[in-house]
Amino acid sequence: MTTTHKTRALIVVTCLSLMFTALGGRLVQLHVLRHDELSSQAAANRGQVVQRQGRRGEIRDCNGNLLANSQSVRIVCADPSITTSNAGVVAAKLSPLLKMDVAVLQAKLTGPGQYVRLKQKVDEETAQQIRSLKLKGILFEDQYLRTYPHGTLASHYIGFVDSDHKGVQGIESAMNQYLEGVSGYEVIERDRKGREIRALRTEGIEPRDGYHVVLTLDQVIQHVAETELEKAMSEFHPQAGVIIVSRPKTGEILAMSCRPTFDLNNAGAALADARRNRCISDVAEPGSTFKIVVCSGAMNERIVTLQDRFDCHNGAFLYAGRILHDAHPYGILPVEGILYKSSNIGAAVVGLKMGAPRLYEYIRRYGFGRKTGIGLPGEVSGIAHPLASWSSLSITRIPMGHEIAATPIQMIMAMNAISNGGKLMKPIVVKRVVDDAGRVILENVPQQVGQPISPATTAMMTTALRRVTTAEGTAPKAAVEGYDTAGKTGTAQKIEGGQYVRKYYSSFIGYLPASDPELSILVSLDDPSGGAYYGGSVSGPVFRRVAEKVVEYLGMPPQKPVTNSKQMASVR
Amino acid sequence: MKHNRKREPLRVGTVSRAVLACVCIAVVGVAYVWQKNQIYRLGDELKKREATASAAEKRNTMLAAQLAQLKSPALLEARCQQYGLGLVAPREQQMVRLPEPGPEWDAKLLAPSSGFVPSTVPAKKPATRTVAR
Repeated sequence: MTTTHKTRALIVVTCLSLMFTALGGRLVQLHVLRHDELSSQAAANRGQVVQRQGRRGEIRDCNGNLLANSQSVRIVCADPSITTSNAGVVAAKLSPLLKMDVAVLQAKLTGPGQYVRLKQKVDEETAQQIRSLKLKGILFEDQYLRTYPHGTLASHYIGFVDSDHKGVQGIESAMNQYLEGVSGYEVIERDRKGREIRALRTEGIEPRDGYHVVLTLDQVIQHVAETELEKAMSEFHPQAGVIIVSRPKTGEILAMSCRPTFDLNNAGAALADARRNRCISDVAEPGSTFKIVVCSGAMNERIVTLQDRFDCHNGAFLYAGRILHDAHPYGILPVEGILYKSSNIGAAVVGLKMGAPRLYEYIRRYGFGRKTGIGLPGEVSGIAHPLASWSSLSITRIPMGHEIAATPIQMIMAMNAISNGGKLMKPIVVKRVVDDAGRVILENVPQQVGQPISPATTAMMTTALRRVTTAEGTAPKAAVEGYDTAGKTGTAQKIEGGQYVRKYYSSFIGYLPASDPELSILVSLDDPSGGAYYGGSVSGPVFRRVAEKVVEYLGMPPQKPVTNSKQMASVR
Repeated sequence: MKHNRKREPLRVGTVSRAVLACVCIAVVGVAYVWQKNQIYRLGDELKKREATASAAEKRNTMLAAQLAQLKSPALLEARCQQYGLGLVAPREQQMVRLPEPGPEWDAKLLAPSSGFVPSTVPAKKPATRTVAR
């Protein structure tokens, strides 16, 4: 080898050595000196912790019919830093699919930043169509959408969720802890194109879907209640209306309908007034339906019997300087007659004989002045003034359902106690909670919360209340042909600005078969117009129509032969 | 000196051991790569199946809601009226209610001496079954 060759070789070796030294130096810099910074940056680019949301549980009726579920939908988003250059074309393609104006879309696509939501609640099919367009800078995010297949059916009972999928009202709120799923997470790694490398998923916890809530509500009975209430609303044009159907023996609520109502799928658009569950949140003076409390209390205390007769003062009774009137003048009436004729004076006289302390005790025994514990949010206690604050007139006014305020649910539960051997039951709205596999997580069993009166007294009360639906009673139109029906009417004057006005709450609470009740139904209309306002003529027929359809649906056999059965159109 | 060194003959055993070692290393290497490849392939397969299951679940939920809507009493009633189907519930006179036999009925049936038809109606109020005539 010549000197020239040796020199050249030396130069090459030196250059190579320098290059490798530089490379080594760079490697030391990247892997040793900047190790912490760069490794965390690499991990952040590659790895990701993805939160997985558990699906919210379903709400079903007592027969397993779906009332609410959560559907997976998409949020369509965009990265304006990518879409700005091509916004016109992208907007034109997305506009018909997202059903949005091109100009609005274009404005969003050319906005500042790297993230903008174009549209929420986009169904999977539309998302798939958009994906097939292969538009750059268009992204999708998962979202759950709560859907209510029946719209307005039992809207106050079922309730709805907010934008975070948390229950706001009704069962959705009351059972939120069961319905809400538990979120999980996954630690994943993505490839250069952002796709997950499934084999490198290192750890994760599966989300748990929410439990399913099975209600005591029956969607067919609820539909009957809704339809009949709607008819009553068109016929009498009241400000509001309520129908509750329950099983007296268990306290189960089979239907709970309120008007005005709202569509659960668009709850945000409804007025707060329409969203209020009047069955549990509204209090009103119950009127004559409250006579069941004073009469049953007096009979239970053996102060009076059904046959004891009282002077009803021909419709005008002066007490403590004020005259109490009856709707129709009556002379001497037995206690039974006081009930089926609904004499205010008769009830006041029974109240006077009973005495304020005992009357107050029975008011409390029936559960007035405290919540029933139905388990729905928004329930109020009603107003039952303590004995100390009663005026001299109270003993004559409370027996006829004035100076006291109760919710419809309190009234029907009190009537249930009378129909059910004196057992005051807790109202039940949730039958059970189950998981995906059908295992029972929670089961609500009927719960007796009191025994205001004895079974013997309830038998006497039923005897009197049966006559309410006869020709001599106040609600012959409430009688259900072929069925042993009992009930009580109520026509309470409304108070506005502290004064009684010529507006009324017309109500009827009844049960059937009276001898062994399977059903109790409350109908209450707030300020019916068109002349009729008595509970027997306004709410009584609504009660009958609901009862006819429900007994037919449940296949309850009649107690008496049906002679002239009407053809009733209903859907099973 | 170097040129004078006598070359030792190759031993078959040594060579075969070396070849075997190389083959083993190659096999292990290939197996490792194959296994890794399988893991990634199965991962991808798993991902596809998960996506299919998820899509099926989503579709199922959507169909459940649709089915509930189609089965709703309000819709059925509207359809009945729309198509004039004249579907109504049977009148009470059109129904025959049969008393459902209780345990005493079974006991009588099982007794060899008894006739097939019970002589008395059960004392307890029987459950009833409704049959449309």
